[in-house]
This record gives sequence, structure tokens and C-alpha cells, in this order.
Amino acid sequence: MKDINSNKLLKLFLYLVLFAILTPMIILLLLAFASRWPWPSLLPDTYSLRAIKEVLAPHTKVVSTLFSSIILSLSVAILSAIVGTMTARALVLYEFKGKGFIDFLGLAPNIVPGAIFAMGIHVVFIKISLADTVLGVIIVHLMYTLPYSINIMRDLTKSIGDQMEMQAYVLGASPLKAFMYITLPLLTPGIMASVSMAYITSFSQYFITLLIGGGKVKTISLLMVPFITKGDRNIGSAYALVFAISTLLVFIIIDKIIKKITISK
Amino acid sequence: MKLELKNLSVTLSDKKILKSINLMVEDGEFISLLGASGCGKSTMLKTIAGLINQSEGSVILDGNIADKIPAHKRRTIIVFQNFRLFPNMTVWENVSFPLKILGVEKKQAREKALELLKKVKLEGYENRSVDELSGGQMQRVALARALAAEPIVLLLDEPFSSLDMNLRKDMRELVSELQKEYKITTILVTHDQEEALTMSNRIAFMHSGQIEQYDTPENIFKHPVNTIVADYFSKGIYVNGEITNNRFVSELFTSNANKHNGKYKCLIRPLAVKVNKYYKGDFKVASKIYQGDNFLLKIHNSKDLKLESIISDSVDIVEGDRVNIELDMDRLIFIPEKQ
Repeated sequence: MKDINSNKLLKLFLYLVLFAILTPMIILLLLAFASRWPWPSLLPDTYSLRAIKEVLAPHTKVVSTLFSSIILSLSVAILSAIVGTMTARALVLYEFKGKGFIDFLGLAPNIVPGAIFAMGIHVVFIKISLADTVLGVIIVHLMYTLPYSINIMRDLTKSIGDQMEMQAYVLGASPLKAFMYITLPLLTPGIMASVSMAYITSFSQYFITLLIGGGKVKTISLLMVPFITKGDRNIGSAYALVFAISTLLVFIIIDKIIKKITISK
Repeated sequence: MKLELKNLSVTLSDKKILKSINLMVEDGEFISLLGASGCGKSTMLKTIAGLINQSEGSVILDGNIADKIPAHKRRTIIVFQNFRLFPNMTVWENVSFPLKILGVEKKQAREKALELLKKVKLEGYENRSVDELSGGQMQRVALARALAAEPIVLLLDEPFSSLDMNLRKDMRELVSELQKEYKITTILVTHDQEEALTMSNRIAFMHSGQIEQYDTPENIFKHPVNTIVADYFSKGIYVNGEITNNRFVSELFTSNANKHNGKYKCLIRPLAVKVNKYYKGDFKVASKIYQGDNFLLKIHNSKDLKLESIISDSVDIVEGDRVNIELDMDRLIFIPEKQ
């Protein structure tokens, strides 16, 4: 009896989650194609391709912006995963002075409100001429994504520990080989999660990208947000669709690549 | 391979774990490091393997100082208590891991792995994933993997303590067989005195970072150098006395003892005490405890001297009976009192 009940509860949660994810997606889809949608109609009265045409029009440069946006966020995600993995390893497995401080520093960008942080860093970036550059945007995104990456990797690194590596050493593997053959495959799920998390965080940054990029570094968020805030919800939704579909595709590709790497090993 | 530890000291986070250890293990010998948990046994094993750096002294392998050889080149291989099988590999991949590192071709490595799995009686398990194995099977895989690396010294870190009783016996036999077959110098770390007594050529008894005694199982059991060693193997009652002219004199009894003059403690283990039922006996039976094969008898006399004895289940003595005792002089152990 108990089993069946808990199963029902689980199903209920599953449907609730599905509802919470799918409803906005459906509304987004309808909005992107709606032309007249007066209150209180449940569905739009008339449909049109205006928003889609507008978004895909050559003057918006949506394809090239999307492409550079993906490259930028992927760079951030991969760098974040690498630095996060190494930092987590240092924090978990090694003893050094100032460990607690660095641990805390990792969280700092999330504690200070984004706007204040961005203003401060902007001044610094202007001085070292990183403002208005892609590199500057990547670095500032990294500051936002690193706390997530470090935390994801720290918990995993802690649970794996260095026991397996020690075993690999005594069996003849050099530290590098032990890491490549044993620890890295075990860390893969975490790295995957870290890459996804950093990617989505970077991809959806608006304010700091605008500020540090100075409008010269264009991302899909920069194109999308003005339409949402200006009130053209149809075009905003069309951009949101492009945003969601491209992100999904990127995740599928990352997943495929990582599976291929781990299986061939 | 002959292994020698010379004045080996290890300090970890300002705590002295090993204090100037000297130990010599002959080629092909099987020794046990015995001691309570926290005495530094595992640290010593890791130091030999090169996983921990000593603060003083040397590890000497076959006459050559091995201090500068990193862990992965020492071929001193540890089998850990928790087996540490690589979860991202199948059974045969685990066993052939050391070969893969050496660059052996995949096909050859697999053949060698299958051969070793046969040795540890795990034929047909090669393609299983490691989380499908039972404790005993994991242990076998860990052993096969260690053998694949062709160790010059095999280090076993409490390998049987996580297995249940019956399995432990099988695994002990398997390890002994393999050790004899491959003639690998082996160090077994254990806190189980029975394991140490039955498996090893020699036992090094460790206590708070020092080796108290290093001797054959029989000698260490019969002639412990101090009360710490004596108590670890089999507890008993100590009677204080003095030896003069090869005669031990105490309040309870006198006995011949071929020792130097001086103050001694005489350890009376339960097996050294024989009891006879006698209604006018000096001792009274306080309790009789069932132990399966036999009974443990706790007795005391009017001076409140408490002794223990072991009797077979056929002897008709019950609680409250009065008994006489007879000491088996050969089983008495004389330990000199520290000056």
C-alpha cells in the first residue's frame, strides 16, 4: 500500500514539474505567433509570422549574433569548468594558507549585488582596457559562473576523495595518468553539470554584458531584453524561442561529445 | 625483495606518528604488523609505499635506499581495506590497469587479467561491473590487480576486516597460498591477533608509533617482552614477585624460573590454571561463562586474588563451588618490571 501511495505522490510531483516547465513554453510559442490576443480569450484570435520575420530579418543579424553568443558562452562554460575543477581540487585535497579566505572569495560575486559589483569592476576594466572587449566580458561572466562551478565540483571531489588516485599511484600510474584514467572519468558528471550551469548563466547575462561589453559585444540577450522591456512581447517571445532552442541544441551536442569521450576511454 | 626500515620517523601535522622504526623483512617473508587502531600501522604501510614522506630515516629495498623513488615507480603495492576498485572499469579492466599503464597491448593485458582472475578463483566474472560484486569478490579482484602490477613488496592494509567470519577464513587461505606461490615479500597490517598468529612468519607488534617486539608467532605469544604485548594476545592475572637464584617467589606461589634476578610480574593466563573440585578448596567459583567450545571460570580466594581458568564442558563445576588450583608452570610468563 505504502509503495503505491508514494508512487502516486511521485507522479503528482512529476506532473507539477512538467506543468511548470511546459506552460510558459506553450505561452511563449503562442505569443511568438499571435497577432491579436485580446482578454479574456484563452487562445489568440489571429496568428501571424510578423515576429518571426522581424527576428530573422537580415538587419537584426540574429544568426551571427547567436553564433558569437554561443561561442562566448561556451568559452565561459569550458573555462569555468576547468578553473572550477582545479579550484575545487585544491580546496578539498590540499592544505595551504588562506584556504578559508579563497573558499569565501569564491562566493563573493554572489553576495555583493550584481549592479554594484559590475559598476566597480567596470571602472577597473576601463583602466586596464578590458572594457568593451570580448575578453573583458568573458572574464566578468567567469566571475559569476565560478562560484557555481566550484561548488558543484567541490562536493563531487569531496565524495570521490583521493583514495582511488592513491591506489592508482601504487599500481604504477603517475599522478597525471591517475588523474586522467581514474579521477577525470569519475568527475565527468559534475563537469557536465558545471558546463551546463555556467553556459546558461553566461548566456542569459544582460546587464553586465551590456556594461562591460559597452554595446560592442553583442549577445542574444542584448537583442532580446529591449523587446521584452519595451513591451513588444511577440518579438520578445520569438527571441526567447531562438534562445531556448539554441541552448537545447548546444546541451545535446555537449552531452553527445562527453558521452563519446568517456565511452571510448 | 628484502625490505629494511632504518630509523624511520613520520610526523603528520606536528604529531609524531612513527618513532624511529627499525625493521627487517627477508625476501619472500610474510610478516604481520599487529597493534590496536591508531598505533601507526597504516601510516607505516603508506610510508613504505611512498604515499607519505618520512621526516627521518630510510626505506631500503634490496639494499638500495628507496626514499627518492616516487610511489608509482616503487612497485610496493598496497591492497587497501576498502579494496578501492575503480568504479569506471569492469573487473578485467581493473585487473589489467597496471598493465595498461605499462603500455601492454590490450589483447595481451586481457589474457593476463583472465589468468590472474583464474588464480583468485573468479573465472567468468571478467565482464562484470565492480558494483555487482560481493565483498569477497571485490577482495579477490583487488588482489589480482595487485598481482598484475608484479609487486616487489605486497602491503595488505587490514584486508579482511570488512569481510564476515567464514569468508575471512577462505580469504586468509587464498592469500597465504598466493604469497607462497609468488614468493612475494608481504606485510599484513592487522589488529586481529589470530590473523597475525596463523598467517605470518614473524609478527611486529606496534604500540604508539613504536615496535615493541618483533618475533615469531610462537615466541611473541609465549615470551612477550612487556605487559602491553602480553595483554594484546591473551589477558590474564598478574602476580608481583621476585626472582632470586632462578626461583620466583610471590605471595601466592613459588616456582622455578630461569631468569635474571630482579622484580618480575608473573602473568597467569586462563590456560595455565587447572582447577579441581574440593570442598575445602581455597578458591570459590564466582562465575562460569559459556564460550562455545569450553567454559571460562572466574574464581577468587579469601585474599581477594582473582584468577581465571578454562574448563571443558564435561567438568562438573558450578557457580559457588569451592576448588583447588594447580598452576601449569610451563605456561607461566615472567615479565621484568620496569625499573
